[in-house]
Amino acid sequence: MPPFFRHVFAILWKDLKTEARTKERLSAMCFFAFLVLLIFNFAFRPGSTVMQSAAPGIFWISVTFAGLFGLTRSFALERQNDCLMGLLLTPADRGAIYLGKTLANLLTMIFMETLLLPLLAVFLNIALWAHLFRLLLPLFLGTLGFAAVGTLFAAMSMNTRLQEALLPMLTLPVLVPALLAGVESFQAILSGAPFSEVVPWIKLAGAFAVLFVTACLLLFDYVVEE
Amino acid sequence: MKTRPYLWSFGLGLLALVGMLIAPYMALVYADVETQMLLAQKIMYFHVPSAFAAYAGFFLVFVFSILYLWRRDKRWDIWASCSAELGVLFCTLVLLTGPLWAKPIWGAWWVWDTRLTLTLVLWLIYVAYLMLRSYSEDPQQSAKFRAVLGIIGFLDVPLVHYAVKLWRTHHPNVVFQERMGLPPDMLTALLFCGMTFLVLFAAILIKRVSLELARDELDYLQAEIQDRKTILGQVSEE
Repeated sequence: MPPFFRHVFAILWKDLKTEARTKERLSAMCFFAFLVLLIFNFAFRPGSTVMQSAAPGIFWISVTFAGLFGLTRSFALERQNDCLMGLLLTPADRGAIYLGKTLANLLTMIFMETLLLPLLAVFLNIALWAHLFRLLLPLFLGTLGFAAVGTLFAAMSMNTRLQEALLPMLTLPVLVPALLAGVESFQAILSGAPFSEVVPWIKLAGAFAVLFVTACLLLFDYVVEE
Repeated sequence: MKTRPYLWSFGLGLLALVGMLIAPYMALVYADVETQMLLAQKIMYFHVPSAFAAYAGFFLVFVFSILYLWRRDKRWDIWASCSAELGVLFCTLVLLTGPLWAKPIWGAWWVWDTRLTLTLVLWLIYVAYLMLRSYSEDPQQSAKFRAVLGIIGFLDVPLVHYAVKLWRTHHPNVVFQERMGLPPDMLTALLFCGMTFLVLFAAILIKRVSLELARDELDYLQAEIQDRKTILGQVSEE
């Protein structure tokens, strides 16, 4: 394996291991996502058809909020004892550090989504099982785009006066296309629309993910350098 | 050498002033009253030119951000953030003048039309850019952050455009903005106002940048004076 990918996996493994040992970020994220999901039921009338058509939106809002919360923690750990400085001093390419962190965030978010989807099906009473397979690709691409942009902005907002509080303000406007793609493809799949209607959204989510993984990979260097 | 930016902004400012004095005449008198929208249509002569200036500003942020990351010259950062300020300013004008026209014509202040949504999202991105600047700590590092956001934000534009277009066409019950062929007198007036707004944009931008450069130089000189004072103090103590 080329050293670049070895470094990526080393960073990824480090993050996942820390997470597996403490479980504090993941459990808080999942609980938060669940809370957002429930709050929507209190805010609108549960059981109505409105809730069913709003389900994709509710799902993505929960994922977004909990994901942003997880992202702020992703670099908070690196800040203690100047861990990030230590990482930067290793011979690893900066791009490898970025990619490793992004993949760790991606996997954390996918784990959270796996827990959240059944809860969505139960509490909003939607028939998810039949459509599950088709949902996977747009869901994955949307989450990848989210993790790509979010990881870069998390590294940036960490070094501002507002710290974590700035992250949503930076991320959400840029994230609009990915969110639209996520919600609309989910909606189309749930309503049983022909697959040709979902394809443009998947393309959009894919384009977003590819563009921003590449751009952030190149730009991360400028964000962390001293 | 130092006086050149002042001369530029003065000259362009003068030009913008003259243009701005003629623009109302072009918009209100020279161009005919539109047959269907009547007087409400007149706002277009200020709405569309503001949009030109806003998009010019956002494009310049992208260009100067790349130049900054490439060359690491502080001046490019100043150019980029001043362009962002003006972009947001003109974009705000677009978002304010739009509803004034939309209310009598479409019957609603706001419609989730492709172009409206795109402009709103752009406004949000560049307001975030300005927030990033005001909440920054280390000036050098924050300049890099801004440049990164300036590039990411502009890369996002085609995606937002595509997304919003796709989003709205899936909901047919929306008022579509039609590209109407403008009669020659209206087109002339629009182009005149467009040029005037771009000149105004350039004049304010150069003024703003030279102000920021002067402030930067002042900071440098003050630090220099402070340094010399401490050195002199040490010498006199000896």
